[in-house]
Amino acid sequence: MKATAFDQYVTLVRQGLRAEFVDKERLVSPVLFALTMLILFAFALGDLDQSLRIKVYLAETLLTALFALQLSFSRLFEPDRQDRVFDLLRTYPVSYSSLFLAKYTLVLILGSATLIPTMLFGAFLHQSANQSLFSWLVLGISILALAGLGALGVLLSVLTLKAQARQILYPILYFPLTTPVLLAAIQSARLCLEAGVTSPELKSWIGLLVGFDTIYITLGILLFTELMDES
Amino acid sequence: MLVISNLSFKFRHRRLFDDLSLTAERGDLWHISGPNGVGKSTFLSVIAGLLNPTSGDIKLSSNGETIEDRRAWLEYLPAEANGLYLKMDAVQNLRFWSQLRGLKLDDEAIFGALAPWGLNHPLLRSDFPVEKYSTGMKRRLALARLSLSPVPGWILDEPLYGLDQQALAVFRERLGKHLSSGGFALLVSHDLEPFRNLITGSKEIVSRGSM
Repeated sequence: MKATAFDQYVTLVRQGLRAEFVDKERLVSPVLFALTMLILFAFALGDLDQSLRIKVYLAETLLTALFALQLSFSRLFEPDRQDRVFDLLRTYPVSYSSLFLAKYTLVLILGSATLIPTMLFGAFLHQSANQSLFSWLVLGISILALAGLGALGVLLSVLTLKAQARQILYPILYFPLTTPVLLAAIQSARLCLEAGVTSPELKSWIGLLVGFDTIYITLGILLFTELMDES
Repeated sequence: MLVISNLSFKFRHRRLFDDLSLTAERGDLWHISGPNGVGKSTFLSVIAGLLNPTSGDIKLSSNGETIEDRRAWLEYLPAEANGLYLKMDAVQNLRFWSQLRGLKLDDEAIFGALAPWGLNHPLLRSDFPVEKYSTGMKRRLALARLSLSPVPGWILDEPLYGLDQQALAVFRERLGKHLSSGGFALLVSHDLEPFRNLITGSKEIVSRGSM
């Protein structure tokens, strides 16, 4: 008897969410970290010039979100590492694509739970009477960035899972690979807020972001199986 | 039927076992023995699919047909670990592993699986994280997972770890039932007494990998 890949995916997502909710510290700490960072930024920068508001808002919220997401990604397999659950998973007839997609779904759900409050709070701190910084399109762009970063996060989490030097290996591999996604996210969000949605360059940057997301998700699915098979 | 042919495993420059062969058929219980550190657990890890052998073959067949994914036919119990989500309760753990095998069990079926192991008390089975269990209770839960599973092959690495006499009797009875219903098992255990009448074959791994 064997469960279908879809059933396994649903089971793994459910278990992953349960693992997050039973350990609330894991769930809440990235959001608290992000909000604290934003408050510190706001105190340090004080009252900003109108022309700088957009740039500072985007720089600090996306940077803060990146670090907060980094916290979530690096702890993605933590519940599976206890009591050799991950090893046992590898001995079960689990489709590795299902496992990748389940972890990826968790990253998207938990990442959004960090990203959305961060973007909202950042916009609230920097908005002025005549300029609201919150934009649905910017939030969409941030979620597109999360889609690319999340695929990389899952891949690198499992890559470093067995490596003894994982604490060092993770940032070394992760940060260079995230640069194109972050660059495209920052540029498209800046254009969206400064020049408006009709800006001709906006489509190109969003296209680049979608392109990198597609590459990283495809690579993720393909390489995850290889990494799991490697012993 | 599990056929292991000329299996060798080398870790970096250390050869753990070499040219190891055995055939486990329905009803067989193979005891894998040898001194500490010789590679008994590694041997079981290779069969479970956690490690790739340096050379040799592991083939599983049923009614003459080769099984492609042997993970669907084997259940592995590691030594000194139980594969439990420690922050979750017993029911959540058993349900998770059963669902991955395609079993859709209702609460009653899970309670029934916990009962022989003395874990079916409402205060123990639900809303009680298994991290609060004693070593023996965690092992009992891992064995409950094993006995719920419909697969024919059990790979057991020190299954008696932490068990008391009562749990040991239950395990012996479950193992006997598993073997008599057409299953097979590979076992590493330093305490052979409980299995004396069940063992059908024995392999000793001696140091430096020779048999």
